[in-house]
Amino acid sequence: MTERREYSALVERHFAAPRNVGRFEPAFDVLVARSGRVDQGIEIVLSARIEAERIAALRHLVYGCPHSIAAASWLTERLVGATLDELAQWRWREAATALDVPPEKWGRLLAIEDAVRGLERAWRERASSRARTA
Amino acid sequence: MNAPLPIYLDYAATTPIDPRVAEAMIECLREPELQGNPSSMGHEYGRRARARVEQARAQVAAAVNGRPECIVWTSGATESNNLALLGVARFHADRGKHIVSSKTEHKAVLDALKQLESEGFFVTYLKPGADGIVAPEQVSEALRDDTQLVSLMHVNNEIGIIQDVGAIGRICRERGILFHVDAAQSMGKVGIDVQAMCVDLLSLTAHKSYGPKGVGALYVRRNPPVGLRPLIFGGGQELGLRSGTLPTHQIVGMGLACEIAEREREADVARICALRERLWTGISKLGRVELNGHRTQRVCGVLNVSFHGVEGESLKFALTDLAVSSGSACASASDAPSYVLRALGRSDQLAQSSLRFSLGRFTTEAEIDAAIAAVTREVERLRAIAPATSPAK
Repeated sequence: MTERREYSALVERHFAAPRNVGRFEPAFDVLVARSGRVDQGIEIVLSARIEAERIAALRHLVYGCPHSIAAASWLTERLVGATLDELAQWRWREAATALDVPPEKWGRLLAIEDAVRGLERAWRERASSRARTA
Repeated sequence: MNAPLPIYLDYAATTPIDPRVAEAMIECLREPELQGNPSSMGHEYGRRARARVEQARAQVAAAVNGRPECIVWTSGATESNNLALLGVARFHADRGKHIVSSKTEHKAVLDALKQLESEGFFVTYLKPGADGIVAPEQVSEALRDDTQLVSLMHVNNEIGIIQDVGAIGRICRERGILFHVDAAQSMGKVGIDVQAMCVDLLSLTAHKSYGPKGVGALYVRRNPPVGLRPLIFGGGQELGLRSGTLPTHQIVGMGLACEIAEREREADVARICALRERLWTGISKLGRVELNGHRTQRVCGVLNVSFHGVEGESLKFALTDLAVSSGSACASASDAPSYVLRALGRSDQLAQSSLRFSLGRFTTEAEIDAAIAAVTREVERLRAIAPATSPAK
């Protein structure tokens, strides 16, 4: 290309081969969250399968810049094994640091954090629903 | 070890130098008899250099059907555009302060016009149709009693469409209004005839037609003369319109590049058109792609395509095998969507997800096939990881 942004090696690796692409089929132990819009430069769908009150696996679909694609892919490995409390504590700055994302792209990471918050809400609703059923 | 170079499909940004042009330039740099200052007419060194400069002037003039004395050497199209616009507007300020141009001109024109606006001139920027074409009637309707100049580009550098400058030139000539054409992208791609097109000033550059960077020319009609005020003062070269020692080797390179471009235009255009159609046929099989600019009123070598469902920066980063542009090389350092595509009505998102492929004399069929394969692979890959509500699905 005529112009070339600098990307960290981790961004390049995840962009070239994104991990855990796709989404889980709807099920009681599957949580889904979506955030962003194409005209905002990023749209992401996260789906998580819960086992024994931990995230057993994550899948993602993402439209966005290389940083967004890499961050979404990286997140699907980072959050495996997380409990609800650990998920609630996750913030976008961790991805910014790990992937060396420049400040002008931090807004895209906020959209990814919004998707994580969506998973958190879905998880809490699932827990309340189970409590009511019990 | 150096990484392999990507396939070069950025001829609209600049072309490689034709080896024949490089040879002629090297001769100028090597031969002692050509080392004189072309303005030093008092000795043989200067006279021999001057002869080469005048030969090149005649070559450039012939390529645009103009007279040699109408050609003024400059450093390139940016300087030519600035000299034409600022020079004419300031010289004729007492005749009127209104100028007509378009929203899709090159920055070298738009920024010069911005400067004139800061000096009290008023500019009407015509909005082209969705195909990029400015209709001659739009120009007619924009003319006022105080209009002194119309400036439009012949071939758009981003989308490759060809404006009907002949029809617009005739309108201007009938109204007694000066007409400037930025023809930086035209040489060797489409015929230029300053007489038939009623052009008063025409900007040219060498490096878009297999000549060297750093040299250009401004055609200035001499009969009747077009008054213009110089931008650079000094030794009074080029009849006082552009002072500075003439770079013999650069000028010789431009002269020969223009001669070759015009002589081989028909063959080049036919071959490159076929390659461009091969590229478009291959890319359009992806689906959800749009050609930017008029389908047929375009030069052979430029294909500007918008890809739905793919984020622009990712698309560009993914295509490391290709040297292509996302717009004008002069403006694409920013991530902002192309102002040309925005003026054609493309959304910010689609404008940002657009690529300009530009082909040229040295492009091969194998390179086009490799480009199709790379674009297909990466667009499909990026669309496959996008959510279902994105335009990809």
